[in-house]
Amino acid sequence: MIEIQGLTKEYDDRRAVDDLSFEVRPGVVTGFLGPNGAGKSTTMRLVLGLDRPTAGRALVGGRPYTELADPLRQVGALLDAQALHGGRTAHGHLRWLAASNGLPARRVDEVLAQVGLTEAAGRRIRKFSLGMRQRLGVAAALLGDPPVLMLDEPVNGLDPEGIRWIRTLLRELAAEGRAVLVSSHLMTEMSLTADHLVVIGRGRLLADAATSEFIDRHGRTRVRVRAVDPTKLAALLRGTGHGLDATEVDGGAWEVSGAEPERIAALAAANGVVLYEIAVQQDSLEDAFMRMTADSVEYRAEATA
Amino acid sequence: MSGTAAALRAERVKFTTLPSQWATPLVALALTVGVTAAVNAAYGTKDHTPGEDPTGGIYYGLNFGHVAVACIGILLIGQEFNTRMIGGSLTAVPRRGRLYGAKLALGAGLGLLLGLASTAGSFLTVGATVGLDPSTPGLTRSFLAGVLYHPMLVLLCLGLTAMLGNLTAALGLLTPMLFLGTTLLSAIPGVREAGQFLPDRAGLYAMRTQPEPGVHYGHWTGLLIMAAWAALAVCGGLRALRRYEVSGG
Repeated sequence: MIEIQGLTKEYDDRRAVDDLSFEVRPGVVTGFLGPNGAGKSTTMRLVLGLDRPTAGRALVGGRPYTELADPLRQVGALLDAQALHGGRTAHGHLRWLAASNGLPARRVDEVLAQVGLTEAAGRRIRKFSLGMRQRLGVAAALLGDPPVLMLDEPVNGLDPEGIRWIRTLLRELAAEGRAVLVSSHLMTEMSLTADHLVVIGRGRLLADAATSEFIDRHGRTRVRVRAVDPTKLAALLRGTGHGLDATEVDGGAWEVSGAEPERIAALAAANGVVLYEIAVQQDSLEDAFMRMTADSVEYRAEATA
Repeated sequence: MSGTAAALRAERVKFTTLPSQWATPLVALALTVGVTAAVNAAYGTKDHTPGEDPTGGIYYGLNFGHVAVACIGILLIGQEFNTRMIGGSLTAVPRRGRLYGAKLALGAGLGLLLGLASTAGSFLTVGATVGLDPSTPGLTRSFLAGVLYHPMLVLLCLGLTAMLGNLTAALGLLTPMLFLGTTLLSAIPGVREAGQFLPDRAGLYAMRTQPEPGVHYGHWTGLLIMAAWAALAVCGGLRALRRYEVSGG
């Protein structure tokens, strides 16, 4: 379990993390979302004691990370998959990590097999693709069999098969009762992986909710309808008095908000409109996220100017 | 296993798993002993005046080898800054003093082993080519200074690199400053007075058997001056590493 309490990090000119508080609970995958520059990586570095907070604190299993004995047995972290020495082999890299926390040497071979790098174990890291480096980073995080995992953009550079692999792996790790915090900017991926979301923008907490709850609260739900006679449908939906908010989307299809599909179907039947398509459309996590973070996107003005 | 022993083991594994690191002491040894052997074999007997300081010949190769010795210290921590691997090291060993201490211990150990091998190799080489009178006054002290010069130089460079927090800056600044700069500085009359107190000058002077005019300290003191510089750099490096932030902020 990770507890973040009033965490703040100021640099000369800005606040990267601003009075942030949340918890990462065991048994679920917690997705850490935010636009680029929102402070996700900074928060993770603060948890690991790599940067010093200006105020507040982060506890792992009730203690600051820097006070943990054999921290790799407590927390597995993947922050920067490129931060490796290219001259070492994958095996050599994991060997020094294992030695640093008194982990048995057999763990090195076990995690290499777990991430599918057994064949590449003896190759120098500089010859690795980004995807292979990510896998090596995951192997390093799993080395100490820790109850807490923290991964920053782990699917970066992975192919579709690799993305599916990491999704399954993270869900399995959480199902084993571990606390898993994972950041990503890939919303579809997050909606498939994370049970819980922590959303930040400009270093501040914007949302801390279950994924489904977050989408319900910030996304819109519409009913898409299409009729045999588009003119009659248009007349019905444009007509006042039904309290419907309808817009024509394409080729005679309409999106209606403000009513349940049952009511729309009944209304159509009562007016002799024959529907051949009626479907509930829910905003994706991406839509919900965009709506909620629209105000916090840093550099948006500069980017579009 | 205690955390300190584990940290030290990890540093040893880091060193042995990286060819660019374990090759450096071998290069240093080959340069120091090789150049000494080649020069003494070729010119030692022709260009020899009785009563001259034999350590000039013994340590001739060290003028070339000690650049590689400095690199051992620079690389031990500098490569971690360069590759940003320092973040991983601090995640594995979050107590910064412990991580730094493990690096210092490894550097000192390597330096000591290398110093013994290099210095013994150089003495034996000169003994075999030009001949060496074991009763020359100060020769034992010279041997001891030659051995200790290596770990002190490694620690000095490790500390300074930790202070700089950057491999490229450390290589670019330390190698020319220590080995070209101080020689050049000693050649300028006014600066010479101050230049003799620089660490490598003081350490090299400790290896001489005869006094040199214009040097304001004794041979043993030379060794102490270098040790003081190394201690200063080691403390400065600890202070810098304690303040270091991976984000660079």
